[in-house]
Amino acid sequence: MVGIFDFAPAIVLLPFVSFLVALAVGDRLPKGGALAGIAATAGSLLLAAATFLTVAGGRTYDATIYTWAEGIEAVDLTFGILIDPLSAMMLLIVTLIAFLVHVFSLGYMNDEGEVGLPRYYAGLGLFTASMLGFVVADNLLMAFMFFELVGLCSYLLIGFWFREPGPPSAAKKAFLVTRFGDYFFLVGVVAVFATFGTAAFSGSGSFPALAEAALHGEATVNTFGFAPQTWFTIVGLLVLGGVVGKSAQFPLHTWLPDAMEGPTPVSALIHAATMVAAGVYLVARMYGFYALSPDALAIIALIGGFTALFAATMGVVKREIKQVLAYSTISQYGYMMLALGGGGYVAATFHLMTHAFFKALLFLGAGSVIIAMHHNEDMWDMGGLKEKMPVTYYAFLSGSLALAGIFPFSGFWSKDEVLYETLIHGLGGSPVLLAAYAMGLLAVFFTGFYTFRMVFLTFHGEPRTQTASDPHSVRWNVKGPLAVLGVLAATTGLVNMVPVEKLLGIGGIDFLHQWLDMSTESLNAHHYGELIPYSSAYIGGEATTVAIGAGVSLGLALAGAGLAHLLYNVPEPVEHTDRLGGIKTLLYNNYYQDEYQVWLANGVTRPVARVANKFDQGVVDGVVNGVSSVSLFSGSRVRRIQTGVVSNYAVLLTLGLTALLLAFGLLGGWFV
Amino acid sequence: MVPPQYYLLLSAALFCIGLFGILTRRNALLFLMSVELMLNAANINLVAFSNVWGNVTGQTFGLFMMALAAAEVAIGIGIILVLYRNFDDVDVTKATTMRW
Repeated sequence: MVGIFDFAPAIVLLPFVSFLVALAVGDRLPKGGALAGIAATAGSLLLAAATFLTVAGGRTYDATIYTWAEGIEAVDLTFGILIDPLSAMMLLIVTLIAFLVHVFSLGYMNDEGEVGLPRYYAGLGLFTASMLGFVVADNLLMAFMFFELVGLCSYLLIGFWFREPGPPSAAKKAFLVTRFGDYFFLVGVVAVFATFGTAAFSGSGSFPALAEAALHGEATVNTFGFAPQTWFTIVGLLVLGGVVGKSAQFPLHTWLPDAMEGPTPVSALIHAATMVAAGVYLVARMYGFYALSPDALAIIALIGGFTALFAATMGVVKREIKQVLAYSTISQYGYMMLALGGGGYVAATFHLMTHAFFKALLFLGAGSVIIAMHHNEDMWDMGGLKEKMPVTYYAFLSGSLALAGIFPFSGFWSKDEVLYETLIHGLGGSPVLLAAYAMGLLAVFFTGFYTFRMVFLTFHGEPRTQTASDPHSVRWNVKGPLAVLGVLAATTGLVNMVPVEKLLGIGGIDFLHQWLDMSTESLNAHHYGELIPYSSAYIGGEATTVAIGAGVSLGLALAGAGLAHLLYNVPEPVEHTDRLGGIKTLLYNNYYQDEYQVWLANGVTRPVARVANKFDQGVVDGVVNGVSSVSLFSGSRVRRIQTGVVSNYAVLLTLGLTALLLAFGLLGGWFV
Repeated sequence: MVPPQYYLLLSAALFCIGLFGILTRRNALLFLMSVELMLNAANINLVAFSNVWGNVTGQTFGLFMMALAAAEVAIGIGIILVLYRNFDDVDVTKATTMRW
């Protein structure tokens, strides 16, 4: 039977075809290959929507497409497609945002007269294809391969303007920092293969299922002499290395703010749907494995909570609009990690979805502002753009309200659920989660503040420069995506109104919970809920806890926004952050994380490398070179007997024969 | 009948004369003559043993080797001729280009 699932590979392949088309004939096509990309992503979007609807009918799909290395009495290495509610939802998000980013690029790149467009659209196509391949991957190795492709594409696109000094360096940094994390991921993949003999995500023979059985003593796996619990934690943390790198979590977040050197639509794609989302998605994909290890979960929660707060504080002092957004991205992905670590699988997925929409919106909005400002990104040169570009303003405002977590925009619902899940599991006897919760909660205030500082500085007050008072106009191809995303950012929260359900007792409006419960037995949210090592406790009753949690986070967000309103929503705002003094310098320099990492490279790695080099050159090469020079020297001496004079050879022959005869004689006893 | 030791002594003396010639002479033609002497020393051995055993195979081989020696001389003289053309001399210690 030909079902919609037979077309699943096409979702991935269509953008790949657009990559090939843009690469091969992009310079001969109108719009530099943009139309091919738009057509391909639109096709993928339609197929993803059809797939989504089929999955909504309760069907899932898991099939091996291609075995590229057949194991003889060993594992097969395969490409396969796994479509369950989680990946179907992610497919929809990625294709939608990729499509909108392609359309937006018409305004941001084509209309601005950029050159090298085929290269740009080829990069976008490959980026989308890689991410889609990652999303549908049904085993860890395939996921790893596409994970790496995503990293490669981000390198290509961040370094798009390679003739300027900044972008190539930022691209290299992004590649190297994420590679550093991916190194651990690779070791983790090998460890999974060595332990379980499979890397499949789903089914009874998958590695999360085997790990669970092993913990219950129902299966034996090779744990290399560790207790299964310890070993699973080690493997989980190795894979987490890749997640921390890609999702820009502390301490590997430093590449992300620099990645702002790339074109703004690319930033939107990287931050909302592809590269950065890949890390969190990976944890969600193999959540059945992480849920078995309380230590790994606690570490994830701590990293997430800390990153959320850490990045939010840095966002407070930035001058460039895209820098603020970059730090907000790091901070928001911190929330997702917090939710995953805190046992809130649905909450993390929910925040991943809402964040994808509102962050794509904010980046595209920032792109629109940047077009208007003739590519000046400094917020202190803007101001008063509200009247000049109303569509951008209202869309951007919708995204900002969502980012700050203001009721009833999407970010409020997802962030509230993240914090709520962490809180109840923390109250259930996990002080680590409570600490992570506190950091996440504090970050809400900073998020509200920096978000509205950005909005007020950009759109409100009086224009502070000539450019701001007479901005460049933008066309439909910029406004269209903004409008779509603006609506989505405002409304997607409605798919999962858990607080309303709990408070008012209306059953059945937690659609996302139901959706993620529809997956196969080992992959659904209900199963994960049973696996997580946390118990829940409430302040008062469940409803009271919900009300308190939502109230506190909303209050903090409003307080942050209100403070920003007080300080910056005036005709002539001044840099109040100057009053922070030394702290501002510290924050503005990103806690000297870059300097610290450069010091690590220069002060630690380089001396170690130098010593290793000495050892290599001196000892290893010394032995090899010594052997060869000894034979070279002796050869140059021994060859002197080759005089070229025939008489000498005859002498040698005679002497040799005599010596041989003497030896035979002596040994054979002829002379006795 | 002459005992074979005498033949062997004669053959050894002849071989040593040939060897002495090769080791001490520098003229390529004398080399060739010395080599002939050594070959004929071997021939004497063959004929002597053939006589001792009353078997003509050794003498057949002796005749065979004479023919072989003639062929060898033809090649040897050819080489000496080329040597002379290239080095204007038949002194074997002069032609030392084939070395390290």
